Formats: sequence, structure tokens, C-alpha cells
Amino acid sequence: MSNQTTFTPSADYLAREKRFNDAVSLRKPDRVPVASLAAFFVIRYAGLTHAEAMYDYEKMSAAWLSSTKKLNWDMAPPPFTMFPAPVMELLGLRTFKWPGKHFPVNSPYQFVENEYMLSDEYDEFLTNPSDFVVRKMMPRMAETLEPLGLLPPLHWLSSGYTLIMLGASALGAPPIQAMLSNLAAIGQEMNKVNAIQGKLIQDLAAAGYPLITFAFAEAPFDWISDMFRGLRGAMLDMYRQPDKLKAAMEIFTPFAIQSAIMAAEMSGNKRIFIPLHRGAGGFMSNKQFEEFYWPGLRTVILALIDHGLLPMPFFEGDYTPRLPYLAELPKGKVLGHFDVVDIKQAKKIIGDVMCFWGNVPAQMLVTGTPNQVKDYCKMLIDTFGDTGGLILDGSVDGVPPESKPENVEAIMETAVTYGVY
Amino acid sequence: MSQELIQAITEMREDEALKITQQMLDAGKDPLEVLEACRQAMEVIGKRFESGDCFIPELILAGEMLRQVSDLIKPRLQKEATHKKHGKVVIGTVEGDIHDIAKDIVAFMLDVNGFEVTDLGVDVPPAKFVEATKETGAKVVALSGFLTLAYDPMKATVEALKAAGLKDVKVMIGGGQIDEQIRQFTGADGWGRDAMAAVKMANEWYSS
Repeated sequence: MSNQTTFTPSADYLAREKRFNDAVSLRKPDRVPVASLAAFFVIRYAGLTHAEAMYDYEKMSAAWLSSTKKLNWDMAPPPFTMFPAPVMELLGLRTFKWPGKHFPVNSPYQFVENEYMLSDEYDEFLTNPSDFVVRKMMPRMAETLEPLGLLPPLHWLSSGYTLIMLGASALGAPPIQAMLSNLAAIGQEMNKVNAIQGKLIQDLAAAGYPLITFAFAEAPFDWISDMFRGLRGAMLDMYRQPDKLKAAMEIFTPFAIQSAIMAAEMSGNKRIFIPLHRGAGGFMSNKQFEEFYWPGLRTVILALIDHGLLPMPFFEGDYTPRLPYLAELPKGKVLGHFDVVDIKQAKKIIGDVMCFWGNVPAQMLVTGTPNQVKDYCKMLIDTFGDTGGLILDGSVDGVPPESKPENVEAIMETAVTYGVY
Repeated sequence: MSQELIQAITEMREDEALKITQQMLDAGKDPLEVLEACRQAMEVIGKRFESGDCFIPELILAGEMLRQVSDLIKPRLQKEATHKKHGKVVIGTVEGDIHDIAKDIVAFMLDVNGFEVTDLGVDVPPAKFVEATKETGAKVVALSGFLTLAYDPMKATVEALKAAGLKDVKVMIGGGQIDEQIRQFTGADGWGRDAMAAVKMANEWYSS
């Protein structure tokens, strides 16, 4: 990425970007683009196990490049989804379980949802968010970071006197000494990961494949629900302490925006992935969605658009009941990845607002046949093709890891045969 | 007062529900009357959930209210409430998957609808389902899974139950990426989108 300025894109690279951008802007490209958020499927397609990909960065990188070329989609899937297991081990991370350690080698990693912030800790968090996260949450999230709980409140260290007497003294404590050397090792390991990932992204670009995304943002409600309070906690807070829940979400709204902008500036990649979790139909009522979920998400989406970025929300679950809200967004400025949705309703309500990305059902890709997949893709093309606002992909995980390769290949086959405009 | 309690619970007024419970107990009402009011309130909430008029926050809060109400009445109960259970259900998230939210909600709704639920937790291997089904004599097994990886262990669990001779046991599956195609793939007897679908299926299977 440091070579960003010296990179000269090939004709193929430019053609793929144009095809993708045309569809996003609701203009007809030469044909329907295919782009996927696939993760472990890319690895399996190259004959690697999930565990190998998470533990061996070089193997992962080679597999990613070869699968990207072989699949020949219009964008390269995002390799940063292959979290580095050695870094997670060095951290003693408790927020994930992963293959090769907790699961068999071909499982995906899974998030361990927990109340990393307890129900009576909002005030502490709201008064001093960083201090709370560093001294209270991080020790809960990762074993290696437990000694952070021994530090004095960080704002106490705001003078040369206290920095010496309190700060430097704390650093001398044996558990903190041990942690500091662990932290150095974690940083060194992550340097290796980033060097290999950076090289991979260059190689993908040189092979003619733009990277689908480099950065992600979350809806503020999801951030608090996923990372702090858990689904159960956050949903009880909606009744028991709604104002505190909203105040916490507000703290994370600028974070979601600014971190995405920073990553976009650093990478030169304007496409921001926004995976969404608890706003789907069935989770809460439209009224609750309006009160707790949509305001934060809308603010993030509009701010990213204002900064010239492309928000790519992944509407996981059934978003049919929320389509009228999505229709408020500016035309041709958002790329919506759909999981389960009523296709006719989607066409009617947001067909002129945003490009439809998705949504060959996971069930079909894993247990169905290429003909079923082709028929489904044709139905999508027949529905959304009139505006050009369609990009093909699976419904969740891009395409699920367990997909049959011939079913996945059938998506591109349909795009180049049936999907020519 | 029973009516007030039902209303407080269904309208999600937690503090009031607990206050009314306490008042009922102080007035010497039979704790079983309180329990009956809770049951009726849950019936209303279940119907609203089914018709899309209430959602997960309400189910979770209702569960919390029920837990606190039963904590209040427990000391006054002569013996464990001998509610006639509709039947036994063994439930769990299948091997390799650690997602528990949907499974917990289904278990809760089965429980408040009169089923005796054995919850095996998450990442449950087929053999454990077989063992628990034999032990409890349950005629219904509910398999949950959020990820696509759950398809194979669901299938393996259905096969393991059959192989263990539990042929008249019915299996239902549910979760994020489940549909009729996956029901056929796994060999399960039924699938559903939400907790009330599970209750309905269990009721049908136990009455057939």
C-alpha cells in the first residue's frame, strides 16, 4: 500500500473497477459484475484448511492470490478476514474461538459474545470511555492484558510528578513488566502479518483485481450490543436504561466514521464494509429500530458518503421490514448487500435507490446444484438488470465456506452468459 | 389483581409487575395464582411475537420478569409447582457452533408453554443428544445452528438418533440459514423460523 502512488493499473483492473462502479451508480455496465465478501471459501478453494490459513500467513497469501485468479470475480475478496491466530494466541484473546485451537481445522472462527461491560458500569464508561476500556474491558477481553487492570486511572498520570511516582512505578511491577514484553512480541508478530497482507494486496492489484474493501464500520447499536453488553444485555438496556444505552452509542458514532475515513485514506480504498447484526426484522420492532438503531446507522452512512466514500452495509438477516428506511438514502451512493429479503419488495422500494448486492442463498450454495444457482442468478438479473443496479454474490459470508465449488462457479458463468447488457 | 399483573407483564412494566406480585403475596394470595397470571401473560406475549407485534427485547424482558417473580414466590410454595407438562424436549446448538441466542429463546418459549426442556448448551456432539434423549425419554429433539457449518452436524445428529433406535423421536431444526432444502438435507422432521414455530411443532408432534 505504500506503493499506492506508483501502481499503474492494468486495463483489466480498470475495466473491473468501472463495471463495479457503474452498477453501484445504477448505470448499466458491460455485464453484471460479480464481487464477493467470501472468506474461508477462498481458502478451501485452494485446498487449505481454515486453521492453516489462520496460522500460516504465507500459505494464506498464496492461496488467496491463486483462488482470486481462478475464481476471476471482478473484485478480490478481503484477506484481512483471515485473522492471525498467533497474534490472537499471544493476546490470550477470549473474544474469539478459532480452528486449530478451540475447533476442528475447518471451522470458522466464532465471536464469543459476553457482557464485557456490566449493566451497572455505564456511568463509569460514559465518564471516561478510554480509561474504562483500557483498565476494565481489556483485562476481560484478553488474558495477556489482565495487568492493565493494575494501572492507576490514566488521567492521574497527567503530571511529571505522578508520571514518575505512579506511572513509572506501576511499570516496574512484575506482572506489568511481563505484559510489556508480551506486547512487544504481539506488535512484532502483527508487523509480519501486515507486511504479508500489504504485499498480497499489491499482488492482487498487479494481477488485475481491485480489493473489494479495506476498512469496516459498524452501526453504533451493534457496537454496544456485540462488543460491550451482548444481545441480551443491550436489549434489556432498551427498557431499563435507554438513555445510557443511547449515550454510549453516541460515543461510538464518531469512532465508526473516523476510523473508516482513516483506513480509506491510508489504503486509497473508498469502499467501506458495514456488517449489520441486530437491526434485522425479527430482532426489534420498526419503532425500536427508529429509536435505537437507524439514527446511528444513518448518521454513519451519510457521513461516509459526505467524505466521498462508498458505504457497503451488509444487511444480515431479513431486512424486508426495514426497506422503507433504506429508501431514504441518497440515490446510487450506497451498495446494499442482502441476505434474506423479499426480492419483489426490494425491487419496488429500493430498486431506484441502491445497487442490490447478493444474494444466492447459502443453503443452495452448500446443498444445491449449479442449475439451481443459475436459475436464481437469472431471476436476480431479470429483476434488477433494467437499471444495471445488480452485483452478484452469495447471501452470507459472501459464499459460505462449505459451498460446493461448482455452485459458486455457476454464479460467474451466469454473469458472463445471461448477464451481458 | 391477577389481571393487573398480567397487564403489567404484557406491557413490559417491570417494576410494577414485581410490586403487584409482592402485594398479592402480602395479601395472602396463593402463589399458584401468581404463576397462573404469569402463564397467561406469556400466552399473550407469545401470540404477539407470533404476529410480529413484539420482538426479542420483549421476550428477554419477559423472561427476566418471570425469573424475578418466581424468586419472590419460591419461599412460599409448599412444594415445586406440579404443572402438568405437555412433554419433554431436548434442545442444543449442534457440534462446532457456539451461538446460543436463538437456542435460548426457543428453550424459554418451550418452557413457558408447558414443555419440560433439557438444554444441552452449545457445541453439542451427536452422542450427547442421543444420551439425553434416552435419559429423558423425550419425543422431540430441537437442533439449533447459526452457521452454515451446522448443516453437517445436524445431519449427523439425526442419523445418530436413528442409529440408536430412537426412531419415533421427532427432530426439528432452526437457525439463521435453515430452510426446507436444509431440512431435507439433514433428514429432520421439521424446521421453523422462530420460537413460536418451535412451540407449534412440538404441540402438534405431542398431540399426534
